[in-house]
Amino acid sequence: MKGIGFTTSIPVEIIYGAGLKPVDLNNVFITDEKAVRLIEEAENAGFPRNTCSWIKGIYSAVLNLKEIDTVVSVVEGDCSNARALSEVLDLKGIRCIPFSYPNSRNYEALEAEMQKLCNAFGTSFDEALRVKKKLDLIRERLVYIDELTWKHNKVSGFENHIWQVSSSDFDGDFEAYRERLEQALAVMEKRKTRTEKVRLGYIGVPPINSDLYDLIETMGARIVYNEVQRQFTMADGIEINDLVEAYRVFTYPYNLSGRINDIKSQIRKREIDGIIHYTQAFCFRGIEDIVIRKELDVPILTLEGDRPGTVDSRSKLRIESFIDMLV
Amino acid sequence: MRILGIDLGSRAVKLAVFEDNKFERWKIFDTASFYRDCCENKNQKISIDIGKLDIGVVEQIISTGYGRNNINVSNAEVITELKAHTYGAVWQTGLKDFTLLDIGGQDSKVISVKKGKMVDMVLNDKCAASCGRYLENMATVIGISIDEMKKYYNEPVELSSTCAVFGESELIGRISEGYTVDRLAAGVNYSLYKRIKPLIARFPSDCLVLSGGVANNEALIQFIKSDQGFREIIVPDNSQLNGAIGCCVYYLNKRN
Repeated sequence: MKGIGFTTSIPVEIIYGAGLKPVDLNNVFITDEKAVRLIEEAENAGFPRNTCSWIKGIYSAVLNLKEIDTVVSVVEGDCSNARALSEVLDLKGIRCIPFSYPNSRNYEALEAEMQKLCNAFGTSFDEALRVKKKLDLIRERLVYIDELTWKHNKVSGFENHIWQVSSSDFDGDFEAYRERLEQALAVMEKRKTRTEKVRLGYIGVPPINSDLYDLIETMGARIVYNEVQRQFTMADGIEINDLVEAYRVFTYPYNLSGRINDIKSQIRKREIDGIIHYTQAFCFRGIEDIVIRKELDVPILTLEGDRPGTVDSRSKLRIESFIDMLV
Repeated sequence: MRILGIDLGSRAVKLAVFEDNKFERWKIFDTASFYRDCCENKNQKISIDIGKLDIGVVEQIISTGYGRNNINVSNAEVITELKAHTYGAVWQTGLKDFTLLDIGGQDSKVISVKKGKMVDMVLNDKCAASCGRYLENMATVIGISIDEMKKYYNEPVELSSTCAVFGESELIGRISEGYTVDRLAAGVNYSLYKRIKPLIARFPSDCLVLSGGVANNEALIQFIKSDQGFREIIVPDNSQLNGAIGCCVYYLNKRN
């Protein structure tokens, strides 16, 4: 089966509906053992040092993956670097299909974008909606994993992160993903209740340093909420029988106020003591930190990551002090 | 009871000794010579030879600072720098509500203290241009001592580089343009202030307390006074020892 790469969450139902395999390029990059090398390869090709590592990693990941000759590039609603990335990929003979989440959240505009994707892959809304029904069954189980994290306190922050973030493409085979998920759930349910004193929320794009979650748990705290990862599961669209509407309630690609409302209600529901706002070095989302700090009334630690690998010692100190402050 | 607080900084190691709730003595070592002369390497772990510190017998050791996870101080309790500095500043000033600015050899931090507790904090970004090491390097470029440099604040020359390393070449350029030493030195001090400014502006308060090796930089204090809304700027007597004192105070508080 041919793989269709993409640069951030897209209506994955359309790809599956066309009988193709969706591949979230972020996951390919970050799970590569030589992720740092992928960034270097992109820099050798001319990507500036002061651009986001994810963009560079995605670039090299696509070129190294022989099975991908088409990439859906999200040029509005995520990151404007993706636009330039698709120009460069075009140059390398990769077919790039632009996709936009209209900033207005306008129904017709989003519908037109999704129709464009359907046309590009030779499928239809009806077909995609049939896939959505199947995916929603898995998404319900992801909601349960999330509950096992914050309500029943049996799941670690990293597990919560990895299962939810993987639902952007369901690892390219949703049936196999579902089986693995059920096996994992059976184990998690039987666990003892965890007793960390400090409950943290994680907001912003997923971290480039995956040891962050475990590190926090060695300090007597646990992340019980992953904002964007939860959004990637499309959990809030499960009941919605309209593909366009389901991707309108997805907060991540639209304006900040939608995200902030979502974050606020989750902070209350999950009894969160403090928030870690992660931003990627050189990302416009670093500016959004100003608004987030003003809007949320829990203590916030802003962390910035740059390259893959373990959390640096300065950030460790800051995390340690932040948790210390909340105890 | 004698308590030893150790603040393992990047440029200096600070020791404070408390005896029966009283600050009794202190010592400051250069970091490199401290590791060389007072530490031992056993099984790839460094441990401090307390005997070599020449501070007498101590019953309890608390340590903090950059080296705290790398140095094995036997029987020492380890606390974070921010905690140590908060305790130190509260004890030294007798204040409960203030903003604390600590400028060390390799980083600077600002802590918002309310009711004697840290409620928020911010650290400088990953750049040496807002810390003591930057001042040292720049003083060397100008050819004066760091103590001389900290006096100047009038008519600073413009130094716009955001990078500590490029800042040096910019400064050399200014020297070649014929600016006087005092204007060059003022320029360096002002460039440090510009990087500190957004950090302290985050926590407005009546009172700003300065600690760390750079706390007695007169020019920096002058810039803060003229530009920020702090009614009072306090530099405790032992500003450089603040972290080490804080270690002792932390333990005393805990014990009581």
